[in-house]
Amino acid sequence: MSFPILSFVTFLPLLGAILLMFIPKDKKGALYTMALAIAFITFAVSLLLYFNFDAKTADPQFVEKGAWLGYGINYHLGIDGISLFLVLLTTFLMPIALLSSWSYIQERIKEYLIFMLVLETGIIGVFLALNLFLFYVFWEAMLIPMYFLIGVWGGKRRIYATFKFVLFTMLGSLLMLVAIFVLYSTYFKATGTYSLDLFDYYQMGLNPGLQIWLFLAFSLAFAIKVPMFPFHTWLPDAHVEAPTAGSVILAAVLLKMGAYGFLRFAIPLFPDAVTKFLPVLVILSLIGIIYGGLMALIQKDIKSLVAYSSVSHMGLVMLAVFSLNLEATEGAIYQMLNHGLSTGMLFLIVGILYERAHTRLIKDFGGVSRQMPVFSAFFLIAMLSSVGLPGLNGFIGEIICFFGIFSSSRLFAILAISTVILAAAYLLWMFQRVMQGPITNEKILSYRDMNKREIGYLVPIVVMMFWMGIYPQTFLRKMDASVTQYISRIKSREKVFVLQPKSPADKLVKEKETKPR
Amino acid sequence: MNSFLALAPLLTIVFGALLVLILEAFIQKENKNYLGYISLLFLIVCAVFCVRSWNANYSYFDGVLHLDQLALLLTFLFLIATAFVMLTGMKYISLQNANFGEFYALLLLALSGMMIMVSTVNFLVIFLGLEVLSVSSYALAGLKRKDEKSAESAIKYFLMGSFASAFLVFGLALLYGASREIAIPEIVAYFSSSAEGQVIALVGLGMVIVGFAFKIALVPFHMWTPDVYEGAPTPVTAFFSVGPKSVGFAVLLRLFASYWNGGFRSDIIHGLLWTIAVLTMLLGNLIALRQKNVKRMLAYSSIAHAGYILVAILARDSAGLVFYLASYLFMNIGAFSALMALSKKDKEYLELDDFSGIGFQYPWIGATFAVFLFSLAGFPPTAGFLAKFYVFSAAVRQGLVPLVIIGVLASLISVFYYLRVIVYMYMRQPERELDIVMENPALFLVLFLCLYGVLQLGIFPGNVLVVIRQAVSTLF
Repeated sequence: MSFPILSFVTFLPLLGAILLMFIPKDKKGALYTMALAIAFITFAVSLLLYFNFDAKTADPQFVEKGAWLGYGINYHLGIDGISLFLVLLTTFLMPIALLSSWSYIQERIKEYLIFMLVLETGIIGVFLALNLFLFYVFWEAMLIPMYFLIGVWGGKRRIYATFKFVLFTMLGSLLMLVAIFVLYSTYFKATGTYSLDLFDYYQMGLNPGLQIWLFLAFSLAFAIKVPMFPFHTWLPDAHVEAPTAGSVILAAVLLKMGAYGFLRFAIPLFPDAVTKFLPVLVILSLIGIIYGGLMALIQKDIKSLVAYSSVSHMGLVMLAVFSLNLEATEGAIYQMLNHGLSTGMLFLIVGILYERAHTRLIKDFGGVSRQMPVFSAFFLIAMLSSVGLPGLNGFIGEIICFFGIFSSSRLFAILAISTVILAAAYLLWMFQRVMQGPITNEKILSYRDMNKREIGYLVPIVVMMFWMGIYPQTFLRKMDASVTQYISRIKSREKVFVLQPKSPADKLVKEKETKPR
Repeated sequence: MNSFLALAPLLTIVFGALLVLILEAFIQKENKNYLGYISLLFLIVCAVFCVRSWNANYSYFDGVLHLDQLALLLTFLFLIATAFVMLTGMKYISLQNANFGEFYALLLLALSGMMIMVSTVNFLVIFLGLEVLSVSSYALAGLKRKDEKSAESAIKYFLMGSFASAFLVFGLALLYGASREIAIPEIVAYFSSSAEGQVIALVGLGMVIVGFAFKIALVPFHMWTPDVYEGAPTPVTAFFSVGPKSVGFAVLLRLFASYWNGGFRSDIIHGLLWTIAVLTMLLGNLIALRQKNVKRMLAYSSIAHAGYILVAILARDSAGLVFYLASYLFMNIGAFSALMALSKKDKEYLELDDFSGIGFQYPWIGATFAVFLFSLAGFPPTAGFLAKFYVFSAAVRQGLVPLVIIGVLASLISVFYYLRVIVYMYMRQPERELDIVMENPALFLVLFLCLYGVLQLGIFPGNVLVVIRQAVSTLF
């Protein structure tokens, strides 16, 4: 057996967290060195995934499969074109998030670093798991470190925010758990064997009536995570209260887990239900785009402005996901990466500003760019990337999304364009009020410009923004095969369902027909 | 196989109890710990007997006492629970002015009662074991003689317990009157034979269920639980929350395993259990939300957990039920041990406010307590999650989807109050120094063993599951 590279990437941070426990808590330098070393090694190893990834294969690669608890509960990891870049995004941003915490987190550093690394294991596990049990374990286990990160190191209303975050997410995921039980028992009754393997479920044709309930349960869990309107209310609270690094990870990666869940589970498992609910989902995404944008316009706090911009941007991603065609899906994945980089960077920028000003209210600022020119440049790039300026990554993602959405529905594409207009409005206006004009507040004169550490962790993000904006082929071509297979899986499911009477699915259908529920 | 060896584990424990009682009179107050060590020795000897009788299928008294795999496995679990309770109690009883050697003797006697109950299918013998267990429990609850709450706890437990026993006996009388049988398989056979007098027998069965529902604190027969749990000395509460509950479920498991195997299925009994399960899960969790006292909160949480375990009975998932009992043992005794760790001479810290900031002040107590709470709330990768996973997935396989939805929503409620304790521990500033007694190696040993158990059962339960499946293979 070859080197278990996926397990290594997944569990190395956890191992690092365990090692951190043995370092005395007053040795800040040693703690950070250890955590950063682990995060960098994880990133380096995950790069191997990229270089060894076979772009022509649609099926999961580097697959690791082993017996675990029996009765269908197996250890099954794999990576394909959909999850590859989300994993890379996670491992890329984690060292940056850790570096950004150096001066922000002043107490309980050891516990903080431990939770960050455990969080990384949870997130990577979610993207790699191909067994529903394993997926659920990572999905839930990841809540624990996030709960502590917001609750211990967060702002004034942190306890309210962290409770809201955990309870909202749990509500969705517990109902998803029930749906997983139903799938589990349905598969058992249809075939006589236990399985929780995702690919076994892809083969299973489900009664459309049953699909509706299961799809609702799955998509509630994912819609809360994305978050789609009207399940977004936890997001501004969690973002505003979380420490900078927590917000970065939350916005850049955790939200993607919801969209990823739709792509990996909810849509391909229940294609019939998707077609039924498509109008509702599309309308909710559109509302999310416009509502998020309008709410961002009126925010007084920069961080909650960025948080609402996430709602708007993720609305566009979800609209692209629900367009169910090749361009839109690739665009959605690409836009997820863009959003991870640009919003992640915006949160880092806000964090840098907050460390100096200890406020995030727009009215407290004005003319900051005179005092902090370097900072101003980075802020501008992050903002333009988020707005979608050609040459930067946001433009590519949005344009592919719009092409895809357009080929599904012109009206929706036209409505969706509003995301760009709104983003330009709220971000530029905010930038103008905070950075430009005369210095309105004496305190601003005491702000230092960014130091080397801060520049150091922002530069890689800027490089990636330009790279993704100028040469997207590096990323898109690795996705093609997997996304094509994903689309054909959705489109062909109905035929499989009808034409192959010998499949285990058929037995199930008959069973369901004779016993109307 | 009919062999005197079937009596060996039971005799060991009873002999140990009597020996400790006698020695108690001759041992100085400062040296009461030796009684604990002697009791632990007897527990170990008994455990050795249990392990050696595995697969031997010993029985005695014409098969009335039958050590099948399930009996041995449960006995083994009870031994672990009792050992944990004794270890945690050693320091506690001397700190809390309850330093009586009878603590150990009574625990051993209660244990012997539980062992009798799980090793037989004869209802009269089950009742015998139940009374041995109950009478020792009443005395244990009142161990802190000078403490009002402890006395209240003992009296309440005694009154309600006798009431429940009366129900049980009356139910047994009706069952016997209708069927002329006293052993579980024969009674069930009578039900499936559709003979006369079924209504009376059904009423009898209902009363038996009610009697056990009192013992394992199912809603609406749970009223005594919070007061008794709160008033009793904490190690005893830990014992109550695990021991009598597990043994009650073991008897219900034996009853319903053969009941449903007999092909006979009464909608009334099913509906009764369904309603009780829903009420227990919801009410237990909802009332726990309002508790400010952590010990009382854990009492309500144990009621809610009884509801989840009842789902296992409805789901006919005997392996899941035993696994749940095992997981519950580790996480609940662990949680109570963490409570006991927060105590000093004549003072226990049980209010939610007392927990402010202790997570960072006492990192090990805080971290282990947090893990137990996460496990009770059912977060992966702990035993609590896996236990719920098995039970609920089996229930869905039986078509009990609405019940499972109520169950997961109830556990969502529970997340709130379990996490609230963690909020106090980690997210608030300490209000004052607790200066708790830290020299308590036995208690820390238990904390770590429970932590190990919770994680082992949650991540790699492999061999334990094999043993459990083997043990229950004869049931369904």
